[in-house]
Amino acid sequence: MSNDVVIRADRLSKRFGTLTVFEDVSIEVKKREVVAIIGPSGAGKSTFIRCINYLHTFNQGTLEILGHTIVGGHNHPSKDVLQDIRTRVGMVFQTFNLFPHLNVIENITLAPVEVKKVPRAQANARAMELLEMVGLPHKAEMYPKRLSGGEQQRVAICRALAMEPEVMLFDEPTSMLDPELVGEVLAAIRRLAKEGMTMVLVTHEMQFAKEVADTVVIMADHGVVEKGPAREVLESPRTERAQSFLHRVLNPEEVPDPLEQEVLPIGGRR
Amino acid sequence: MQTLWSAWMQYLPLLLRGTAMTVELTAAALVVGVLFGFLLALGRLSRVPALDTLATGYVEVVRAIPVLIILFITYYGFAELGLVLSGITAAVVSLGGFYATQYGEIFRGAILGIDRGQTEAATALGLTSAQTMRRVVLPQAFFTILPPATNQLSNLIKDTSLVFTISVADLMYQANSALSVNFLPMDMLLEAGVIYFIFYLIIAKVLGRWEVSVQRRRN
Amino acid sequence: MHIALEYAGTIGVGGLKDVALTVVSLILSIILGTLFALGRLYGPWPVRTLIYWYVEIIRGLPAILQLFIIYFGFTQWGINFSPLTAALIWLVAYGTGYAVEIFRSGIMEIPTGQREAAAALGLSSRTTMIRVVVPQAYAIMLPPLTSFVVLQLKNTTLLYLIGFADIMYEARLGVDATNHAAILYFMAALAYLILSLIIGRVGVRLERNVAAYR
Ligand SMILES: Nc1ncnc2c1ncn2[C@@H]1O[C@H](COP(=O)(O)OP(=O)(O)OP(=O)(O)O)[C@@H](O)[C@H]1O
Ligand SMILES: [Mg+2]
Repeated sequence: MSNDVVIRADRLSKRFGTLTVFEDVSIEVKKREVVAIIGPSGAGKSTFIRCINYLHTFNQGTLEILGHTIVGGHNHPSKDVLQDIRTRVGMVFQTFNLFPHLNVIENITLAPVEVKKVPRAQANARAMELLEMVGLPHKAEMYPKRLSGGEQQRVAICRALAMEPEVMLFDEPTSMLDPELVGEVLAAIRRLAKEGMTMVLVTHEMQFAKEVADTVVIMADHGVVEKGPAREVLESPRTERAQSFLHRVLNPEEVPDPLEQEVLPIGGRR
Repeated sequence: MQTLWSAWMQYLPLLLRGTAMTVELTAAALVVGVLFGFLLALGRLSRVPALDTLATGYVEVVRAIPVLIILFITYYGFAELGLVLSGITAAVVSLGGFYATQYGEIFRGAILGIDRGQTEAATALGLTSAQTMRRVVLPQAFFTILPPATNQLSNLIKDTSLVFTISVADLMYQANSALSVNFLPMDMLLEAGVIYFIFYLIIAKVLGRWEVSVQRRRN
Repeated sequence: MHIALEYAGTIGVGGLKDVALTVVSLILSIILGTLFALGRLYGPWPVRTLIYWYVEIIRGLPAILQLFIIYFGFTQWGINFSPLTAALIWLVAYGTGYAVEIFRSGIMEIPTGQREAAAALGLSSRTTMIRVVVPQAYAIMLPPLTSFVVLQLKNTTLLYLIGFADIMYEARLGVDATNHAAILYFMAALAYLILSLIIGRVGVRLERNVAAYR
């Protein structure tokens, strides 16, 4: 593995029972690189990003991550390896998944105190710094339920950052949010990108992907249909599948009505 | 081994006679409990404040009292006050009166639980309120009611075992009378236990599985 | 009315015994119930099967039959428990059976996202259990737990049948002595009613405390 490659997935395949989610997916993530994964719903983007920190096992292929090598199939990595990967890789979920019985600061400090044995005072101080960074220091004592979705997601980002990860994984961090709350979360991610955080980001926000990502990967039909520099892939995709996907996303009003051929006037009789 | 089975076989007819009484009591108390429970639910949902208070008061008080005490009040207490009930009548009244609170709450919960959007949608489609009740509300409520109702039925059967204390000759009573004759308490209690457990399995498992399969077919 | 006064004291003392027994058995059943529930969910299959059938038997047999098996049944094999010992064994055995199911469904209601988030942070499965899953399960359990406490308290009425001197036993003695069944059983009912009300209040108070995050 060349020195600055942090993640290399080599022909990963994943099945749930008989359902093949994806086959032969290969990507490489270098240090300080931001990789955005886009693609239609059900393409396996979430499943793939969860394989990176081994929340999902995979059936075939090799995953090299932070100096560890995991081979798909039946060779599960040891507990220590998993723990090392997970403490060094942060993850932010579509549904936030904050711990509802802990307040904001407890959510953020739980893992540093329990896993890294950081002294509580120091963990609290770091948590407050992180909350300042996302503009939420005044919410430290609140329970997640009292926060808006955008605030919850920003806290979830702090929770992951509190472990001082070397890589951050984002699985559609804004798709559960009301449109007016998306901006605040994207701002936090944008800031991380500027600071040079290595990131893998599954998103539906094309504009944002174009802005922050160095590399864009399009997943569809059980695999990667196109990958390359963000601007190139998004502005002049080479494959037909990528073109049709991007066309549909960018022009939703042009998607044809599947009933069009029948020419039934709405509300009318045949 | 020989003696064990012979004792079990010897007293089986007696226990089965007790079982018949247990089943009859359960059936009678179930009918009383469901009908009275339905009235209690209507009372608690009624817009007449007096009915609501009365039904609510009854439910809150009666369900907090242990069944055994209810049984003693209806059997011994009422008798002292001049209302002499037979053991069986007292048993049906007590168990029915207690389980009415359980069934009443189940019915009330199910009726309240139906999404208002459902009735609104039915009304918007032009269904009459009777049609809405019959075709939309009740079919949905039925399947919310069934699992907790079955659960209460299995509780009811088990609670009928208390009536031996007022000398009603149910399964528990017969097991006790057998063991006081043959001095094999473990054998007689276990034999009765097996019979109770068969009822439990039938109600909890067979009925439960049927409910799940019906529900799955509907979804 | 003097009968009520005469027996209020003894019935009250019987009530205290019932409460003490309920509390002790409750603590033991919740501890055992938690362990059994974890065994039922995560143990190897023989443990899971064993606990499954244990729960089914406790739920399937009438309470009084279980108590009689412990108190009378075991005498057939030369084992004689005192009424207090038999009462405690039964209340704990019975309570554990119910606590397992309450706790198990509490754990199963916790969304998988919670475990995934904990795993993604590198928390060990032990820490995840202790810091993330169990506290949330207890919060979910509170309402069924309150009804469970009331159920256990009501179960103590059966103990007089094995000669344990509780509310029912005292009431029964009073009835035998005076023939005033109505007033004395009414007083027993009242004692249980008051105790249930108190438990209900405490339950609501606790639920309000956890409502902050639920
Ligand atoms: N735990 C699971 N068990 C079985 N099938 C699953 C599981 N998780 C996901 N799938 C299936 O795998 C496929 C890919 O799902 P995935 O969530 O990865 O898609 P996605 O690209 O993230 O879609 P979206 O954009 O809607 O989030 C879907 O068909 C889904 O139903
Ligand atoms: Mg997804």
